[in-house]
Amino acid sequence: MATIRRRLSAAIALGGVAALALTACTGPAPSGEDSEGGSGEGGASSAPIVYGTTDKVTSIDPAGSYDNGSFMLMNQVYPLLLNSAPGSAEVEPDLAETAEFTSPNEYTVTLPEGLTWANGNTLDSADVKHTFDRQLEIADPNGPSSLLGNLESVEAPDTTTVVFTLKEGDDQTFPQVLSSPVGPIVDDETFPADELLPDEDIVAAEAFHGQYSIDSYEKNQLVNLVPFDGYQGLLGAPKNSQASIKYYADSNNLKLDIQQGNIDVAARALTPTDVEDLSGDDNVVVHEGPGGELRYMVFNFNIMPFGAETDEADEEKSLAVRQAMADLLDREALSEQVYKGTYTPAYGFIPKEFEGATEPLKEKYGDGEGGPDQDRAAERLEAAGVETPVALNLQYNPDHYGPSSGEEYALVKQHLEANDLFTVNLQSTEWVTYQQDRIDSYPVYQLGWYPDYSDADNYLSPFFAIENFLSNGYVNEEVDQLIAEQRVTPDEAERSEKLGQIQDIVGEELSTLPLLQGAQVAVSSPDVAGVEDTLDASFKFRLGAVSKEG
Amino acid sequence: MVLPGDEGTAPSAPTRKKGLGGLGRYILIRFLLIIPTVFILVTMVFFLMRVTGDPITAAMGGRLTPAQLAERIAAAGYDRPLPVQYVEYLGQLLTGNFGTTLSDNRPVTEVLATYGAATLELVFFSVIVALVVGIPLGMVAAKFRDRWPDAFLRIAAILFYATPVFFAGLLLKLVFSVWLDWLPTNGRLTISNQLALDGLQAPTGIYFLDALRSGNMAALGDVLEHAALPALALGLLTGGVFLRLVRTNMIGTLGREFVEAGRSRGVSEYRLTTRHAFRPALIPIITVMGMQIAMMMGGAVLTETTFEWKGLGFQLAEYLAARDFVAVQGIVVILAVIVAVTNFLVDIVAALIDPRVRY
Repeated sequence: MATIRRRLSAAIALGGVAALALTACTGPAPSGEDSEGGSGEGGASSAPIVYGTTDKVTSIDPAGSYDNGSFMLMNQVYPLLLNSAPGSAEVEPDLAETAEFTSPNEYTVTLPEGLTWANGNTLDSADVKHTFDRQLEIADPNGPSSLLGNLESVEAPDTTTVVFTLKEGDDQTFPQVLSSPVGPIVDDETFPADELLPDEDIVAAEAFHGQYSIDSYEKNQLVNLVPFDGYQGLLGAPKNSQASIKYYADSNNLKLDIQQGNIDVAARALTPTDVEDLSGDDNVVVHEGPGGELRYMVFNFNIMPFGAETDEADEEKSLAVRQAMADLLDREALSEQVYKGTYTPAYGFIPKEFEGATEPLKEKYGDGEGGPDQDRAAERLEAAGVETPVALNLQYNPDHYGPSSGEEYALVKQHLEANDLFTVNLQSTEWVTYQQDRIDSYPVYQLGWYPDYSDADNYLSPFFAIENFLSNGYVNEEVDQLIAEQRVTPDEAERSEKLGQIQDIVGEELSTLPLLQGAQVAVSSPDVAGVEDTLDASFKFRLGAVSKEG
Repeated sequence: MVLPGDEGTAPSAPTRKKGLGGLGRYILIRFLLIIPTVFILVTMVFFLMRVTGDPITAAMGGRLTPAQLAERIAAAGYDRPLPVQYVEYLGQLLTGNFGTTLSDNRPVTEVLATYGAATLELVFFSVIVALVVGIPLGMVAAKFRDRWPDAFLRIAAILFYATPVFFAGLLLKLVFSVWLDWLPTNGRLTISNQLALDGLQAPTGIYFLDALRSGNMAALGDVLEHAALPALALGLLTGGVFLRLVRTNMIGTLGREFVEAGRSRGVSEYRLTTRHAFRPALIPIITVMGMQIAMMMGGAVLTETTFEWKGLGFQLAEYLAARDFVAVQGIVVILAVIVAVTNFLVDIVAALIDPRVRY
């Protein structure tokens, strides 16, 4: 026994010394070594690139995920019938050859002949029908099937034609839906009709037909993509010979790696402080593009001060409280002091880059130019007979909407209490509880929204239609009607007018109070090109647009 | 000659029992105790997880109406009575079915294999650090008892185990990665080496082994570079405990009669310290090591998060945030089994070394 113990001790000690000695001898990796990439075969023009992100992949089965991280990866490896080219949010045929309304309730797509998946299987209309049928069949709790609410059925009359029958005719959002997370087409010989396929099985089956195919896959750690020659769609061949995606848990590590040249591009999501810091670093370039994220305060019409279910229920006073709050908020200060310009003031309900967006809140509230006006708020409350200060419980959430939410709402509280019109009781709650309690326990609360697809309707229907996800007691039949109408109005000018009317009404009634619009920020090494081309209002990061001097 | 371990009051001779001997009975009882330990943990985790929310709300709560949310929760079966869900889960567990994660659709066994390998590697390197730091320095401290090297090492030991592991990690990262740029800030490998090792036939996921197996010395160096700071952060915590233990026990044994006897026979001081006094001092370390493994698993959550070392601890934190019942339960079961089995093995080793333990 003593001999065994002695040998064991010696082995452990030797192992430790060897490990430390080797560690000491090896020294640091040269800057940039990380980005050399792996063993995939390249066929394009520039060196491999490495993209870093803190987003996560839920599933690369399109029926099983509805999040940015998963869709970003799917967008590189699956075909979409319609897509948008870098620099644009306008959808146009990608996998499809043509796509159009052939009758109010029928949207017909034709495909080119002779398409194949990376595994050699035939890609035709049967795959498209299979894709949407299984989305509806599986309706996974984590999946995007709810985006197909207007889809009645899909038919494939021949190998190159697909006919979508819609419940509501002339749905102008449907082409956008086809380019959204519910849209990636899957191989009907690989993906089962009624259940999700594990990621590893998808990768093993090489069921891809995008700019890239997945060469190696370590979920939420490292994914390596190699160009797929069979892709002939809108995006063309990638401008790099291969692309790796490295997943981070901590944005601080993401920042350190882009600074040290270990990755080529860092996007989604660096903190505002990191972005400000990196802006002054000559080793990197900070790119900004339009962002689709909006941050709001939401009012619960039932339990907010003077709400319908409170003891002192009074519709007029309740409205005056909401409007006075709109008068008091200084969005510029929120943008600059808290978010260092990575979020910009939002004065409307639809992001500025979208057709039909207006800024009704700029004129209606505060100083009429976007700034706060405390006197106007005081007058408004006095005119409505509201006794001040108004006690307000205000909820925010830092673990889902970002750690800067605490700072954001501390400043909001400061604005609201500036002239003693409000006393704000600020409370933060952990995300899962927050989501359960926001419906009926929070009088006023923070909310963030990232679009499902790039269309103005996605900023209105979910919030202001009678069946909305906020369930905050806001009901306006005129708004509900206008929302339904704009969705089926093909004429752009006419649709914009209706969108304007909706924003005008909800701007007056303030079911929600938009505060900020997020910008897309990506940071790259100086030798990387093309990042700015893909930071457009489609909010799709296309790795194929990025190149690097080789 | 008095042998280490023979000194002190000799235990009275145990009475022989019929059937299982003392050691056999001891091993059996210790083994059987694993079952209720794991069962209690599984039960606690099962009910606590469900009290704090469901994965559907965590993932989709910000986008769906309450009715849609309720529909999805019902479809997933989370609206059923808890006892029904509990019995169903236990049934699955008994058949070795850990299920599929709810938040990212992965078989839990795959999660355990993938991330367990990373944690195993980290704990292995950390134990090496702990032993390399704790044992020799403890011996030095004992040898120089109450003199300045001893005082210095005692303070160092307190610092090692009193410093929160995440703080130690951040500090090490700041100094050695950011300021000095000697070591990588995060991850287990550079991307090129990771792709090379992942491309091996049947990789173990323990990069140290995979690099050795493939003869890729550049990758091996890379593994060690990446492991250095996380292993130091986690290993020093335990190293501090070992240092104190070795010191205290060595001081005890250095004053024993058998050491004095050795000295009077002309045995060198070096030999007296490293052989005669050290061996008996090792016994409590082996015992404590079992508990330290459990402590390291806890520390691994913070270390792995700080250094992007994607192991079980890191993944456990992710799944907890997502309220992924299935994943958390699976990982906790495995961690509980690892800790319980490690303690079981340590108890056996301790019983083999010191017969008093088993009676």
